[in-house]
Amino acid sequence: MKQVGNKNEAFSLKTRLKRLKRDSNRWSVFTLAIVFFLALPIIFIGVELFSGPGETWSHIVRYLLPEYIGNSLYLVFLCSILVLILGVSSAWLVSRFNFPLRQQMEWLLILPLAIPSYIVGYAYAGIFDYGGSMNLLFRQLNLDFIRIDIMNRAGLAFVLSISLFPYVYVSARAFFLNQANNLLEASKMLGVGEGKTFFRLMLPLARPAIVAGLVLVLMEVLNDYGAASYYGVNTFTTGIFRSWFSLEEPETAVYLSALLILIIFALILFEKWQVRKVKFSSSKTNSTQIQRKRPKKSMQWLIFSVVFLPVFLGFVLPVTQLIYWAVLTASTVFDMQFLIISLQSFGIAITSAIITVFFALLLIYFSKWSTLLSIKNIARVGVLGYAIPGAVIAIGIMIPTLALDKWLIKMFGNFGIDSGLIINGTLIALLYAYAVRFLAVAYNPIESTALKVDSSIPDSSKVLGVGNLKTFFKIEFPLIKTGVFSAVILVFIDVMKELPLTLILKPYHIDTLAVKAFEYASDEMVMEASIPSLFIIFTAMIPVIFLNKLLIKK
Amino acid sequence: MLTIDSLSKSFDKGKNYALEDVTFDLKAGHVCAIVGESGSGKTTLVRLIAGLERPDHGSISLGDKVIASLDKFVQPEKRKIGLVFQEYALFPHLTILDNVLYGISKLKNKKERAQEMLDLVGLSNMGKRYPHQLSGGQQQRVALARALAPKPSLLILDEPFSNLDAMLRTQLRNEVFDIIKKTEVTVLFVTHDTQDALSVADEILILQNGKVVQKDAAANLYVKPNTLYVASLFGSTIHINKNLQTAFSCPLKESCCHAIRNEKIKVNPSANDPHCEYITRAEVVKKVELGDSTQLLLKLESGEQLSVMTQDKNVADTINIGFNSKDILEFDHE
Amino acid sequence: MKRFVLAMAAFALLAACGNDNKKKDNSTEKEMVKDQVVNVYTHRHYEPDQNIFRMFEEKTGIKVKVINASADELIQKMKMEGKQSPADVLITVDAGRLSRAKDQGLLQSIESNILENAIPKHLQDEDNQWFGLTKRARIIAYSKDRVKPEDLSTYEDLVNPKWKGKILVRSSSNIYNQSLMASIIANNGEEAAKSWAEGIVANMARSPKGSDRDQVKAVVAGEGDLAIVNSYYIGKMLNSPDPEEVKTAKQIGLFFPNQEDRGTHINVSGAGVAKYAPNRANAILFIEYLISEEAQKVFTDANYEYPILESVEPVQDIKDWGDFKEDNLELNKLGENNKKAVLIFDETSWK
Repeated sequence: MKQVGNKNEAFSLKTRLKRLKRDSNRWSVFTLAIVFFLALPIIFIGVELFSGPGETWSHIVRYLLPEYIGNSLYLVFLCSILVLILGVSSAWLVSRFNFPLRQQMEWLLILPLAIPSYIVGYAYAGIFDYGGSMNLLFRQLNLDFIRIDIMNRAGLAFVLSISLFPYVYVSARAFFLNQANNLLEASKMLGVGEGKTFFRLMLPLARPAIVAGLVLVLMEVLNDYGAASYYGVNTFTTGIFRSWFSLEEPETAVYLSALLILIIFALILFEKWQVRKVKFSSSKTNSTQIQRKRPKKSMQWLIFSVVFLPVFLGFVLPVTQLIYWAVLTASTVFDMQFLIISLQSFGIAITSAIITVFFALLLIYFSKWSTLLSIKNIARVGVLGYAIPGAVIAIGIMIPTLALDKWLIKMFGNFGIDSGLIINGTLIALLYAYAVRFLAVAYNPIESTALKVDSSIPDSSKVLGVGNLKTFFKIEFPLIKTGVFSAVILVFIDVMKELPLTLILKPYHIDTLAVKAFEYASDEMVMEASIPSLFIIFTAMIPVIFLNKLLIKK
Repeated sequence: MLTIDSLSKSFDKGKNYALEDVTFDLKAGHVCAIVGESGSGKTTLVRLIAGLERPDHGSISLGDKVIASLDKFVQPEKRKIGLVFQEYALFPHLTILDNVLYGISKLKNKKERAQEMLDLVGLSNMGKRYPHQLSGGQQQRVALARALAPKPSLLILDEPFSNLDAMLRTQLRNEVFDIIKKTEVTVLFVTHDTQDALSVADEILILQNGKVVQKDAAANLYVKPNTLYVASLFGSTIHINKNLQTAFSCPLKESCCHAIRNEKIKVNPSANDPHCEYITRAEVVKKVELGDSTQLLLKLESGEQLSVMTQDKNVADTINIGFNSKDILEFDHE
Repeated sequence: MKRFVLAMAAFALLAACGNDNKKKDNSTEKEMVKDQVVNVYTHRHYEPDQNIFRMFEEKTGIKVKVINASADELIQKMKMEGKQSPADVLITVDAGRLSRAKDQGLLQSIESNILENAIPKHLQDEDNQWFGLTKRARIIAYSKDRVKPEDLSTYEDLVNPKWKGKILVRSSSNIYNQSLMASIIANNGEEAAKSWAEGIVANMARSPKGSDRDQVKAVVAGEGDLAIVNSYYIGKMLNSPDPEEVKTAKQIGLFFPNQEDRGTHINVSGAGVAKYAPNRANAILFIEYLISEEAQKVFTDANYEYPILESVEPVQDIKDWGDFKEDNLELNKLGENNKKAVLIFDETSWK
């Protein structure tokens, strides 16, 4: 037996390099390529940072930045509180108690996700408007001296919370349903009451899940443009639009985006940090479902009303307002064109959902198959797009793709072919942008289901002589199917609702419902915007219900 | 057959080693048990051999082929090693038959081979069921059938019985190894239980803190353990420290470490017993009746406490104990 | 479930292919019958415009392809696309943006006697790079109960302390406010404009929010007495599908400021031919059509704008407000002063 040196050399540079050579495989290269592809727009924005801000930067810092920061923090703070109250209480009540229409409530609580928050904003502005339904109601009651003004910061926080709380509801409920039963029983055996069990046991345990949902909400809050600009609240994102367009200084807009991205990174780090600190997710999921309590009849109705309130505010009320407007305007707005736009929206959304999920799968599994540890961390760079406002991503995409287009035109020109723009102004740029923007939306549910598959399962497939790809298709994919389908649906809904990026990158003769709704609304035809809005809502509603079925089945 | 040469693996870039300079080899057809406490590096060793981890240093060869070294790495799927996981890792969405077929899809007579395997493990009629419909023991046997189906040159069992209770454990262990004996495959068997190891292994490898402490035939380990740790793994052992040496008035080599197995200590030996050179008096602190024998907790005059076993039902409050110098185990270090 | 997913996937594939086909069609079309298309970048996302485009298609056989977005976004897009830009025509709802596009070299001069003669001189670019299509006036809507029209006079008078807590106006990120401010800078100078903005902010009834229509509603609701609004929104409110809105609009009075001096600030919605227009001739034909009598009639009848063509009568609702004196400021000044206007808004914290 020959000795091959001793282990003291194991971490010398020479052996490290040798191992790097041994362990870098094609998957490492593929992962890097995909990360680079997805991060390209962000890289270009980053490069812009080095060219310095525009000349109005000092003007912005002096007059606007304090307001941007103040408003953004105010929104983050108030939305966090509202969203936590709405999301966690409803999640706990539907998981823990039986009450009338409980099963219906379970999925109704997700529906507010189907309405873009700017449309909820339009609807509420209409409801509280002079001559709006609330005003008319008060007039009937001779109370018309009461006027509730919703178009301010607090109103915006309310609108955003009521349309975004389902993110927290969904993740908290998933935790309560799947993880909580054993602990709940243990608590019961110790003679602890319902209230204390919730606050001392369930709430702290569910914290990682709840915070994960909350971080999603806050990203959406910080990225919101439509509702904030309509309500006249200046935030970072409206500031980005203002300095880019009104002040004509894209470089300044990039600076503001960079600041916004920093805030969002801080949020993400906060989430990572708090999840790491509270690492008590049990390794094996105990599949016993939570046992629901059946309280007194009167109590049941009380619970019902508590749970129904967010559904009413987040879905029933705004949709009713939209339907009322739709009836008033149907004759002028609705035509064949509409059906075509709806189909186009649907087609674009489903195509980009599949593409985005495909990229997410590639990223997750390539980095897993790549045996270099550092690759796995690099892979996460690919999901940063979600933290970046759509408009900024659109710029980031146009810079490199236009350069490529110009090069392609030159190449084709050599052969005497006038190719025109191949990437820009076509679906390619748009789908690329959606993939960059929404990769995180697909990545997270897939990753979390993939983590639930014990590593010994793919390992044993490999030991049985089956390679990575085949193992994926035969073993892993069937096991993470639910995660993959949830990812498709979530991206689908997000794309249906997406606005700023679509406005900038969409090709000719293709319209989406969101664009149509925004066009009307930005021309102060909010009533006419109701029909495309309703179309978005109903197209998004079907998969939302479907998604809920998936989660329940699990 | 399997040759491991100065294999090292660290999960924190060299600060701590999960496995450190492990070197040994294994003959074809042998059953080798790897014994160690949890955290001793057993699982890391197994995953390195299977190709599920990559070594930081050293090499692994199977037959005359290097399968892992600093320059070379053979993918796990190319190694032809069978592995039965602790948690079985059956594919939950495939039937039992499909699980067994999984690794032999390229074989011409795969159907026959799979059925043969199911027959071998005594689950001939279970092929159409799904894993969750089987008991733990049955799942275990499916995992075994699946691992044996591709005719691996080496079969690794990673703590296969640790999830089972004592009764079932013995029964299943015998069943599994009866099956394995029929296939004449070389086996690496990971366990933290010495009974498991002693009852089935030709040779045993002891791991402690990522290092090989001893590798020997099962019988030798009991008689000639290399360290106090190994000795105590195979039966309770008393370290003869300075105080005990004084108590028994038996001066021993200072540079070495000595121990005696509890069972070798004689209670009330006859005064001129030639096989009991060292004797001392002890006070009985506590008696524990264990059916046909009694455990005595003793306190020596020097204050040392130790426990011995005796068949004698009526021992006095103060007794003599002693042992034979031949029974003393001597190690180079602790 | 599987079947549902399959169906979705199949549909998506179809949708994607459908789009692809369309794309191919477009490109072949472009090569075969190149002169049969006009690509329009427009900020006018109004339903009536669609009808005008359709009328144009029927009349000439030239297909109109539209990208809708805000003028700012369209300008950025054209800048980035450079020589490869497919845009033939840029339409905005504000002259300031057209002159900005001109300054950035995105438009080209064209020769068209029709446009030259039909459009008043001060409503077209001196270099023939853009032409006004319709006019809107920035006027004052007042509460008939609480305000005597005799008390109103000029934009400048709105800073008078007598209006403290009475003025309603929307956010400064709105282009119509930016252009109004730009016109005040052009007429009175930067310093005066700044103190004007300070005065308005001091007199505001509430912090700026909502649309022009919301300002009108706030007047009727009694939140303030005066609202600075765009004329064509009043026309739209008077013809709203919502009866409440019609009722609201009927309750306010309209005042055209500065009639005694320079005239009421007006702005145009206008069009220009893109610098790198691939279908230049079609682009000219298209703009010429937009100021034809039939197109101008649609602009005023369906969108309540003032037609630019003098021979076309404004729609009755507008005619009822009477004739007024327009500020004949050269509209390129609006573009030149736009950035200054935004900076002043920020400095005076006009949100």
